[in-house]
Amino acid sequence: MAGYTVRLPQFEGSLDLLLSLAQQGQVDLREIPLGQIAEEYLAASRAHFDLDEATEVLWALAAMIEMKSRLLVPKPEVIEEPLIVDGEPSDLQERLEEQAQEYRTFKEVSLALRALEDYQKKVFARPKEGDSGEVILEGVTIDDLFRSFQQVLERAREHVGEVAAEEIKVADRMDAILSLLGVSPQGVEFPNLFSPAAGLLEVIVTFLALLELIKQRRVSAQQPKPFATIRLVLVPA
Amino acid sequence: MMTEPEVRPAGPELERDHLKRAVECVLLVGGGPVTPDQLKDTLGVPVELVHEVLLDLVAEYRDRGLQIQALAGGYQLCTRPEFSEYVQRFLRLDQREPLSQAALETLAIVAYRQPVTRAEIEAVRGVRCEHVLERLLDRHLIRDLGRKQALGRPILYGTTEGFLRHFGLRDLDALPPLRGNDPRSAFGTPASQDGEDTQV
Repeated sequence: MAGYTVRLPQFEGSLDLLLSLAQQGQVDLREIPLGQIAEEYLAASRAHFDLDEATEVLWALAAMIEMKSRLLVPKPEVIEEPLIVDGEPSDLQERLEEQAQEYRTFKEVSLALRALEDYQKKVFARPKEGDSGEVILEGVTIDDLFRSFQQVLERAREHVGEVAAEEIKVADRMDAILSLLGVSPQGVEFPNLFSPAAGLLEVIVTFLALLELIKQRRVSAQQPKPFATIRLVLVPA
Repeated sequence: MMTEPEVRPAGPELERDHLKRAVECVLLVGGGPVTPDQLKDTLGVPVELVHEVLLDLVAEYRDRGLQIQALAGGYQLCTRPEFSEYVQRFLRLDQREPLSQAALETLAIVAYRQPVTRAEIEAVRGVRCEHVLERLLDRHLIRDLGRKQALGRPILYGTTEGFLRHFGLRDLDALPPLRGNDPRSAFGTPASQDGEDTQV
């Protein structure tokens, strides 16, 4: 792709080229009016709009705006680190090295912790009486409990809606699926389980019924290849 | 096995033996770690005696399938890892999920540097830790210790008792030692004077 062409007194050529020259430091972005480029592109794009090109231009301009803003913002005075006394080659490098060293230290100690974890995950204590084995209040303070309780109270004050009686029952839909599959030895394709007139509730309940039947191993679901239509077949009793 | 004598001779040895068995019982029903203080209160004996008896028990269990572990400020009666396969099979338990590498590294920084802010952790790891911290909070391995009196009042994190249990640690002093100068001290202390030259 040739890319959008920029025509400025300072530069003429593709925007891509401008970006790479700026990245190499061969063009001083402080002298390039990026706002003007953007405006001219917008004007041009009204006549002819290409999404790919727009994306490229947007990306290149954004990159250059970032670079330019870095150039324009005054750099803070570099404060000499007290620990660099005798003119080290680069304090940035030193700091990076220090940080890397620090990270390595933690990486190393995490190996030791992993070994401890390996040991401890194979250790079992007797669960407390009436305890499901999960210590669910671990790390929970009285404050946490109090706050949670307040939230529940808050919610309880909100309007309580009425729950309509279930018109469509999972058990009924399970029976319906079973009888449908019973008369279809070849099986039934998934979409055909749902009648075209089925409402949202019926669709959901039918799906739940199907999941239940699969769980009970009374129905098996087959898919010859990924994304193919799922076929449902009765499992012989 | 010896048969119990009909008439028990009174004496410190026998009393100590009796105490030892009592401690064993409490540890069994305690499930998790039982602190020496709890044992002292339960058994009505000086805490020094509790410690002595516990040491005896730890030694006596050396050849058993069970062990007595010093854990999270207390002692717990628990299985030995060599037999985990059978325990898991019996309880129909899956392998316990180990922590991810990212979670483990983050947790290590929290453990050695606590109280520590998220920014301080990220400064060490060089990547964002928001989600990892959330997961560690969910698993109750770390907790919110309050807020740092600094710009933005960031949350300070520290480890929980659950952390000690997860790694089988008696307390934070039982953490494996860090190599080099110990960054367990305040965060960001420059490794100046006694840094590299005194090592090596």
